[in-house]
Amino acid sequence: MFDEKDLILEAKHVTRRFPAAGGRELTACSDVNLKFYKGKTLGLVGESGCGKSTFMRFLVWLDRPTEGEIIYHGRDITKLKGRALWEERQHIQMVFQDPSTSFNPKMRVRDIICEPLLNYRRIRLSEKDATARRLLEMVELPGDFADRFPHNMSGGQRQRVAIARALALEPEIIVMDEATSALDVSVQATIIDLITKLQREKDITIGFICHNLGLIQSFAHQVAVMYLGNIVEVMPGEDIANNSKHPYSRALLDAVFDVKMDFSKKIEPIKGEAPSPLDVPAGCPFRDRCEHCMELCRQEKPVLRELEPGHQVACHLFGKEDNA
Amino acid sequence: MALLEIKNVDISYGGKVTVKNCSLTLNEGEICSIVGESGSGKTTVIRAVLGLLAGGGRVTAGDILYEGRSLLSLTPREWRSLRGHDISMIFQDSGAMMNQTRKIGNSFVEYIRTHESISKKAAWAKGVHMLERMRLPDGDRIMRSYPFQLSGGMRQRVGIAMGMTYQPKLLLADEPTSALDVTTQAQIVRQMMELRDEYGTAIILVTHDLGVATYMGDKIIVMKNGMIEDQGQRDYMLRETENEYTRRLLEAVPSIGGKRYV
Repeated sequence: MFDEKDLILEAKHVTRRFPAAGGRELTACSDVNLKFYKGKTLGLVGESGCGKSTFMRFLVWLDRPTEGEIIYHGRDITKLKGRALWEERQHIQMVFQDPSTSFNPKMRVRDIICEPLLNYRRIRLSEKDATARRLLEMVELPGDFADRFPHNMSGGQRQRVAIARALALEPEIIVMDEATSALDVSVQATIIDLITKLQREKDITIGFICHNLGLIQSFAHQVAVMYLGNIVEVMPGEDIANNSKHPYSRALLDAVFDVKMDFSKKIEPIKGEAPSPLDVPAGCPFRDRCEHCMELCRQEKPVLRELEPGHQVACHLFGKEDNA
Repeated sequence: MALLEIKNVDISYGGKVTVKNCSLTLNEGEICSIVGESGSGKTTVIRAVLGLLAGGGRVTAGDILYEGRSLLSLTPREWRSLRGHDISMIFQDSGAMMNQTRKIGNSFVEYIRTHESISKKAAWAKGVHMLERMRLPDGDRIMRSYPFQLSGGMRQRVGIAMGMTYQPKLLLADEPTSALDVTTQAQIVRQMMELRDEYGTAIILVTHDLGVATYMGDKIIVMKNGMIEDQGQRDYMLRETENEYTRRLLEAVPSIGGKRYV
């Protein structure tokens, strides 16, 4: 469903290890391979601590992987330094989870959203007012908001300002880390509306971190499910509800509460909690919580296998017969 | 007689009325969900029930009756025997509500011995028993841990275990699952439903998650700007209500297999 010529960023075998107490190592991302396509949204879902934010932070150089490469326009961006890095940063921007802590509280909105433009000498100081107004109107806020401070705005308005700031440099890729989870549900819907509208207009690629499957399926073109640092399933966004295969993806789906669900249904949450990423079990990382766990799962770690175009699963239950 | 009756209550902070004319009736074993956007006054209402209004908040009009008795005229001593015994509360992050420098067991034993004159040893055993009832494996180890050594889901279970020690008739839950992952949330929701089925505990659930609110609630109250905007039985609220605001809230909930923007 995705055209390979639209591929703009590709993560290859990305691994990140952190040193931990007692000479041990914590693997936050283990051999992650993902592809970002022009103008499409990739949703990354998983429980807290599964490494989804760690991965997305590589794209905006807030951290660097231990191994592997991230190819953007034919160049491995994880090795960039100095001037080249500064230049490249314009093309990938980020929106954070909590808009109240991602701004300098002493800066006015005008200064916040024009700072990236001034930094890259895209505008002159004299053009600040007009530019701020234009950017605010783009995110459907009144232009007068330029004079406000972050604390004079509601959470939804602040998140719009954060989006305006990220879009100011007209980047190709935007990373959004739980950009709507601090907001009320009605505000969340309007923000998603805005994001998808801007994406269509400007053909932006979005990497969206989320733990709400209901939300992610409403606007992601591609969804990757992550568990303990491993990508366990990648599928087209519209497939989540009916065609997700991995037992972990199914378990996440079963845990979603929905106003349209059948309330007599007894919820069957998966047992226990994710183990500490310090002691990931050998074999399949999900083996101790999986109801289909087999002998093979304890010995051999499943790799991502393609089931159909655009749909890969890392589970021993699927895809074996293709090899035979 | 209703278990809890809130009658036309006004609540003010420093002379400014924040919740106006709020009424609610709850029977034994009933679950009522209060939903609304942040700042709509939903937490204020349940804090008033427990006499725990923060920052000098006061009930300025109306009355709150628990088993027919007004809660507003209780002495501090009467409050102490009621709180944590007849009425319990679970917070958004139970771990943050505990003293960080004391081990769970230490707080738990103190709590039990406030309500019952038993030995420390017996109180410890009772604590361990409650933790294990809440499906926390190895209760002894948890009693010997500090709150920050446990995961969010475990801390929340500890909070529920404490709250349920005396099988309260009324449980007030303030966003009990909002800080948790979806899978842990499902486990906690299931446990709260079991409390109702086993002990007949009535629950008031405050949440902004409409999915959880509708799954758990027998009836649902929608609050907006400190007023009750709409209320009714769950099926009525989901299908029949003509209130514009309720409908808009319900439509905004993303659902699996629902609206797609792309």
